[in-house]
Amino acid sequence: MFVGIDIGGTFTDGVVISDQEVIKLIKVPTYDDISLSIEEALQQILAGLEPQKIEQVTLSTTLITNLIMQDQLAKAGLLLLPGPGANPHQLSFACAYKIINGAVDYRGRVIKPINLTEVKEACQYFLDRKINNLVVACKFSQRNPSLEEEIAAFVQKNYPECKVLASHKVSGLLNWVRRANGAFYTLATQEACRTFQEKIKTTLAKLGLHCPLFILKADGGTLPLEVSLCYPLETIFSGPAASTLGALACTEEKITAVVIDIGGTTTDLALLLAGKPLLAERGALINNYPVPVRSLAISSLTLGGDSSLLIEQGKLRFGPRQGPALCVGGPVLTVTDVLVYSGYSEIASPALIKEPVEETARVLQLTPQQFSEQVLQMFVAQLEAKLEIMFKTWEEEPAYRIWQVLSVQKERPQTLICLGGPASGIGKYWSEKKNWQVVVPAFSAVANAIGAALAKTTLKLDFFADTERKTYTTNLGGLQGTLAQRLHNIEEAKEFTLQLFQEKAKDWQLVPDMPVETVYAEGFNIVRGWQTTGRIFQIGLQTVPGIKVFLKGARQDV
Amino acid sequence: MFKTGLIFFPAFDWAISPTHPEREERLLYTRDQIFEEGILDQRKIVEYTPRLAEEKDIQRVHFCVPNIAAQTTTAHFISAGSALKLGDALLAGAIDNGFSLVRPPGHHAMRVVHGNRGFCNINNEAILVEYLRKKYQLRKIAIVDTDVHHGDGTQDIFYHDPDVLFISMHQDGRTLYPGTGFVDEVGGPGAYLKNINIPLPPGTTDKGFLKVWREIIRPLLKDFAPELVINSAGQDNHFTDPLANMQVSSQGYAQLTEELKPDLAVLEGGYAIETALPYVNLGILLALAGQDYSYVVEPQAQKQQIKQELQVERYIDKLIAYWQKKLAEIPPSKEELFSSKLIYKNSRHLYYDTDNIREQQQEEVSYCPDCPGVYQVISQSDRASGRNYYLKGISIPLYACSACQEKGYEIWERAKKEKGYDLCYLQDKKNDQYFREEIRR
Repeated sequence: MFVGIDIGGTFTDGVVISDQEVIKLIKVPTYDDISLSIEEALQQILAGLEPQKIEQVTLSTTLITNLIMQDQLAKAGLLLLPGPGANPHQLSFACAYKIINGAVDYRGRVIKPINLTEVKEACQYFLDRKINNLVVACKFSQRNPSLEEEIAAFVQKNYPECKVLASHKVSGLLNWVRRANGAFYTLATQEACRTFQEKIKTTLAKLGLHCPLFILKADGGTLPLEVSLCYPLETIFSGPAASTLGALACTEEKITAVVIDIGGTTTDLALLLAGKPLLAERGALINNYPVPVRSLAISSLTLGGDSSLLIEQGKLRFGPRQGPALCVGGPVLTVTDVLVYSGYSEIASPALIKEPVEETARVLQLTPQQFSEQVLQMFVAQLEAKLEIMFKTWEEEPAYRIWQVLSVQKERPQTLICLGGPASGIGKYWSEKKNWQVVVPAFSAVANAIGAALAKTTLKLDFFADTERKTYTTNLGGLQGTLAQRLHNIEEAKEFTLQLFQEKAKDWQLVPDMPVETVYAEGFNIVRGWQTTGRIFQIGLQTVPGIKVFLKGARQDV
Repeated sequence: MFKTGLIFFPAFDWAISPTHPEREERLLYTRDQIFEEGILDQRKIVEYTPRLAEEKDIQRVHFCVPNIAAQTTTAHFISAGSALKLGDALLAGAIDNGFSLVRPPGHHAMRVVHGNRGFCNINNEAILVEYLRKKYQLRKIAIVDTDVHHGDGTQDIFYHDPDVLFISMHQDGRTLYPGTGFVDEVGGPGAYLKNINIPLPPGTTDKGFLKVWREIIRPLLKDFAPELVINSAGQDNHFTDPLANMQVSSQGYAQLTEELKPDLAVLEGGYAIETALPYVNLGILLALAGQDYSYVVEPQAQKQQIKQELQVERYIDKLIAYWQKKLAEIPPSKEELFSSKLIYKNSRHLYYDTDNIREQQQEEVSYCPDCPGVYQVISQSDRASGRNYYLKGISIPLYACSACQEKGYEIWERAKKEKGYDLCYLQDKKNDQYFREEIRR
């Protein structure tokens, strides 16, 4: 049995899945302290179930997202070592920074040493401003962490009141701005994460649950609670990943579709391509600051079932949510009301809103039918415009190899999976107007919890080795080192990468027989003066992301 | 918002041979530097996916011997196609300028292609120019070639085209491949002074490089008033390049880019893959995007002071004086330039360094008062190994008058019946139709 818990803004949903079927659904309020919601949810889930039958609990939590959005972050400062390159003042760093000397190049060679006097001055600058969380970020630190390590050790020794984190410990991604921001958010949320983790562990013990607990990531994979402490940022924005995976679980393995999750205020769009959610090309943004986190390519628009209908200079447009729909006791006419009036939704009786709809139509000098049609047409047009941008971005994903350019066969989906309250109404309308297959799955209201429960644990390893310099690095923060053995060819490099992968797989608690996919594997000759002096290897391994089991009979076509 | 389009295509799976300078590794460190900077997260820089050029795009420019397949790999189609894609984005208004950071390069590829010359098979910039002129009815385009090697392929392709101004600044041909690009190669009689060569002495630094730009090229561009400026952005003038002898730094390249403001820049050569390319490419990209590039300083440049020697300085000043005087003269008329026979004839040998071929050519352009006139070439290859071809190519210019267009077809019909040719080609740029005929003996 798999348990999934999705902590939403207002409610926390829980599901229990056994043998491809949802056997239990629960709903509790989301409290300020989300660990209380989790406890309550688990209590209800366990009622009448034997705890030892539960194989795994997965949470999709808003903990980190909330901390960030509510600006409850611990203050931190960046010590930056940019070296040659772009002007660091024109880059998007998420907090205060000081630039200091010292540089490493792309091969990991130190090209400029550090000056400890400068480090001292920078530390003092931050301490004077009551900032004692410090991040050290050096360009190419993943290729050679020595400067970051030296500074971190110096700070720790001389300023014991400071907490310091080096950017290479957070990520090995080639993008020092993302690494620096990632280290900042990690440092600023780590304490809250630790507290959360301890509370959850206590709760589990109290309830007699001894199964592994996983957290859903923004890329639709999961990771164990213990590991999440090292990579707290991975758990941000897991909501859209949860719903997209939920949509997948309710359909079938190789589906290619647009997933649309319509809420009261906003709508999220995602793409499933042959059963895999499309990832954002460069990674996630937090408050517009780039971070080293893989996430689904999600497109959001401020438009939902409760969006109000405004008339300005005789023209109709959508306004912000002012409350629930009129037909369920809200203050103003909304998109949902129009769905009800025109028969696309049956959540209330059309009689309740007949008058205001007709009145609004009169103001616009339209028949009520024309008015309803216009509202729905405008709604769908906005979704389509967003979709068009999404498709374009997907089609324009860069390709750096011939085989990638040749293998593109990007056929746009013609299937729409609708989730969320107003989704079935919009879905019906869409299927009438467009030549699309529209699916409104059963359990679409708890798709998030289903997605969390069924998401596979995923691990991706991007390996990079330079045999001339005898070093290797990876995308995983902290996983880098010296090559003790010589890697003569791509086969040996693959073997070495696989070993690293399997070691990490243990921490990640991956199922032992999970298939490992080679995303890319290439070798470069380092030629100097017509002599091959070494090799560079780039190898990407991952477990295929997706769903553990598909729900029986959940797909319902409109 | 001002937007710079970027297509980065390092072709990590393509090389001329495993240790050739044009190999998989060439843009690896450039990738590292540009990705690590985090600048691609900025919305000012829009990265596009490459696409393949079509055969017709290549036919519009080249006579590939014996056919396109023999002279190209998929990588060539992608490299050329990437420039076309950025051209489309530029003319659609989606971007304000663009950088096609791609390999393989192309500026040594001439109209007739028997093989690879200077690591090039097909000419990316020429394919771009002809595509844009055909598709968007552009007429006047300038190409500024800042590779250290003379852009002899591009010169050859547009030598008789009065609507394309080709300017190449490069290391003097007496000291470097391909051994051409002297000041007296000024364009055919119908395109006088539309081909400008600035052969620089070895040891030229940023100072000389920028002086030549400001005092010769900038005024030339101003006078010509092109609708589009393309930069053949080779990077081997760099002071660490292993194949040449210049002293230009990434700052010099970036500053030139900032002042030149090319609409599209296309990577050409540059083989200091570690010491130059990561920094020069970054500098050019930042300059195109209007970002500060003053922090882009190579580690070697931090250590050493690069100084232009006095004799280099004097030579450059003389070169500038030469061009300023020449450009101030009243040009002779087209009729005078064609001389009394009203026909241009040229006979020459060409050398293909990569593929070991010697080519013998006879070119002919007939005078027309109304248009650039029909171009004809007869070519015979002499290969160190492999089959040789004897061919005739006819080219009807894009802005040909109808009489010349007709004449082009007459020559083509005759040529096919003439004895001896293995292959005949007809380029009708005006109607965008291209013919090739293999003649069986």
